[in-house]
Amino acid sequence: METFLLEIALDFALAFLVAACWGVLFGTPVKALYMAGLLGGLGHSVRFVLLELGLGLVGSTLAASVFIGLIGIYAAHKVHNPPVVITMPACITMIPGLYAYRSMLAAIKLSDQSILDKDPNIIPTIAHNAVLTFSLLLTLAVGISISALLFRNKSVRDIRLGKDIFKSKEENI
Amino acid sequence: MEKEKEKDTSETVKANEIADFILDTGAFLMASGAHSGRVWRNCKRIAGRYGYHLNINPTFTGILVSVWDKNDDSNAVTRYKTSPQNLVHLEVLTLISHLSWRIADGITSFADARVELEGIKKQKHYPFWFVAFMVGVSCACLCVLAGGNVVDAGITFLAAMVGSLVKYYITRKNFNQFLAVIVASCATTMIAGADTILGIGKLPEITLATSVLYLIPGVPLINSVIDLLEGYFSASIARSLYAASVLLCIAVGMTLSITLLGISKF
Repeated sequence: METFLLEIALDFALAFLVAACWGVLFGTPVKALYMAGLLGGLGHSVRFVLLELGLGLVGSTLAASVFIGLIGIYAAHKVHNPPVVITMPACITMIPGLYAYRSMLAAIKLSDQSILDKDPNIIPTIAHNAVLTFSLLLTLAVGISISALLFRNKSVRDIRLGKDIFKSKEENI
Repeated sequence: MEKEKEKDTSETVKANEIADFILDTGAFLMASGAHSGRVWRNCKRIAGRYGYHLNINPTFTGILVSVWDKNDDSNAVTRYKTSPQNLVHLEVLTLISHLSWRIADGITSFADARVELEGIKKQKHYPFWFVAFMVGVSCACLCVLAGGNVVDAGITFLAAMVGSLVKYYITRKNFNQFLAVIVASCATTMIAGADTILGIGKLPEITLATSVLYLIPGVPLINSVIDLLEGYFSASIARSLYAASVLLCIAVGMTLSITLLGISKF
């Protein structure tokens, strides 16, 4: 159990760094960088735990990115930024680079007749990795746009305003 | 009730001025990595403040804007503008969002807003050496996350950092951006390939796969899916085409250096 917690902590720390660094690459404002890192770390550890529980790669990535998207609405208020600015670098921590690379490498090998003759499994390799890449990308996009999908045509500021109006009504009573 | 701020509606702006301002804002937002829904919301907020109806057709390569006066149909303009070159800079999204809210609340006047927009356009990105270093760190961390050991991570760090610098220098010389991606990915793979050739790391495959990740056009890729979900099909197609071309260029660069190093070793 302790080693499991340690692994989660390591996962969190690494994903924190990745998200903050991607924030720099994407030009996220300095004040929001730590929030991007926190979101990325949290999301990636959620994915790590779900993977350990055996939810499957696509399922756990979807859950983690939706988690990032929803927490991102709250976090965006904290740092006074639009949610995309922090959820984008946070979701990038789960980008399916390895699968994209594997399908590409297999595709390069496919152009060589002798390698293909030796290993006909190359074609399923390409298909499997390409499908994984695209479904993972789709889940990341769904996670980032979850706020736009659930609160359609509403700005994040209105979501907060809605709460404020509700509160003032209660106080009036 | 606290929402009922004194709104100064005396300020009148001509239709062509507001159209120009919105074109500027929208095209710049889109090039900085905003999805079409965000562009639409920000622009609508600005137009609504001055009593104009607005319709836009964002297509990643450009933006078509139509504004007309709510009270006077003849006071109307339709204009088109090509977007500047795509350079992801999320801080611009924050600044323009704040600006549009201040315009909508009547805090910033139209003349001030124009000056502020010019200021936002000149907003500096992080210094290139800092970005290169951070790119190296992030790719190294991804390498460890994917199961690589310290040696793999070190080589990934070096490869990604050098590649990022190469890309910066080529882009600065105003070469085609796709060419810059090919050369950068080739340089990165050359360095990362050392892991495989020399056989020093634990998982050389991971080193190769994670060191080129900084080139992946994450923002256009994700934005294209968001646009698709929200119904901006033309923008979505243009974005995915752009992202796919960049991905193809990464593959070309990697193929080039893998072939040079010897395909049978990978």
